[in-house]
Amino acid sequence: MAMSPMEQFEVKPIVPLHLGGYDVSFTNQSLFMCLVVAAVTLFFALAVSRPKLVPGKMQSMGEISYEFVANMIRSTSGDAGLVFFPFVFTIFFFVLFSNFLGLIPGAFTVTSQIVVTFALAALVICTVVLVGFARHGFGFLKLFVPKAPWYILWLLVPIEVISFLTRLVSLSVRLFANMLAGHTMLQVFAGFVVALGAAGLLAPLAVAPMLMIVFIGALEMLVAFLQAYVFAVLTCIYLNEALHLHDHH
Amino acid sequence: MPSPEQDDLKRLGERIDEADRRQNEREAAPPPSAWGIAIRFAAEMVMALVVGGGLGWGIDWAFEHWASVQTRPWGLVVFVLLGAAAGIRNVLRAAKEINAAEAAKE
Repeated sequence: MAMSPMEQFEVKPIVPLHLGGYDVSFTNQSLFMCLVVAAVTLFFALAVSRPKLVPGKMQSMGEISYEFVANMIRSTSGDAGLVFFPFVFTIFFFVLFSNFLGLIPGAFTVTSQIVVTFALAALVICTVVLVGFARHGFGFLKLFVPKAPWYILWLLVPIEVISFLTRLVSLSVRLFANMLAGHTMLQVFAGFVVALGAAGLLAPLAVAPMLMIVFIGALEMLVAFLQAYVFAVLTCIYLNEALHLHDHH
Repeated sequence: MPSPEQDDLKRLGERIDEADRRQNEREAAPPPSAWGIAIRFAAEMVMALVVGGGLGWGIDWAFEHWASVQTRPWGLVVFVLLGAAAGIRNVLRAAKEINAAEAAKE
């Protein structure tokens, strides 16, 4: 049990595979992504399997999930934003289930890898750009041109572009850092329990870090949900901006 | 004179409205704590610097790699400064947002 707290984040190949010089092994990362998708699919398959007018437990959960995401979109981008319901819904539940599956002891947390969160954020930003161009044509580029006299504009446009790209980093790092920090903390306190438990007379003191694990565990549940929510809400806000282009100053 | 059923229905309607109102109040986001605001500002600033620095580094690398033009370290220098400017702009924007949210609540 004397392992580094970072060992839990190691990507290990399960089925080694090399294609054209690239390492495309099936790893514990891929396995848990598949599990996440399977879990989400199973959850909603059960929720809609026997629809009744008065919903049962599973159907209720499914309906609450739908309402929750629909309200989230309505409150940030109005009814027009509901076009993006499938997109936001998918992202929200992928992140939510990754976070929660990761909380199971021994499980791998997909969202604790910056590659995964960065890819998700890149997907969101690319969608925003594509939607912006589709809706407004080249008028979308006005997003980067604030109202200012021309002699200062050449300086402001690069600043606006950097400011826009900042979202890519903040969206991905926020989720990744929260998951990484939380899981590292849990592992560190678990290490304290083991170390103290083996310390002879001091062994009863091991209860203290154990209690901490319980509290941090509860906190991590909150963080797991909150970060999925934040990711989805920010997706909605950015999409809303691409839809309506009202300058965000 | 309304029948007792209509009266009951009306009262039920009022109770539902009241419960709805309280529910909405409870679900309204709590105001961000001072700690939360501080973290947000710091994050906005650092992110912009990182993105600016990354872009500058990338541009230097691209010029050297593809055009064999030695621009290093000027891309990095210029873009870190632009990143700092973008960071300050982001922080001001965030502050405006938070102030607007506070003002809307009162």
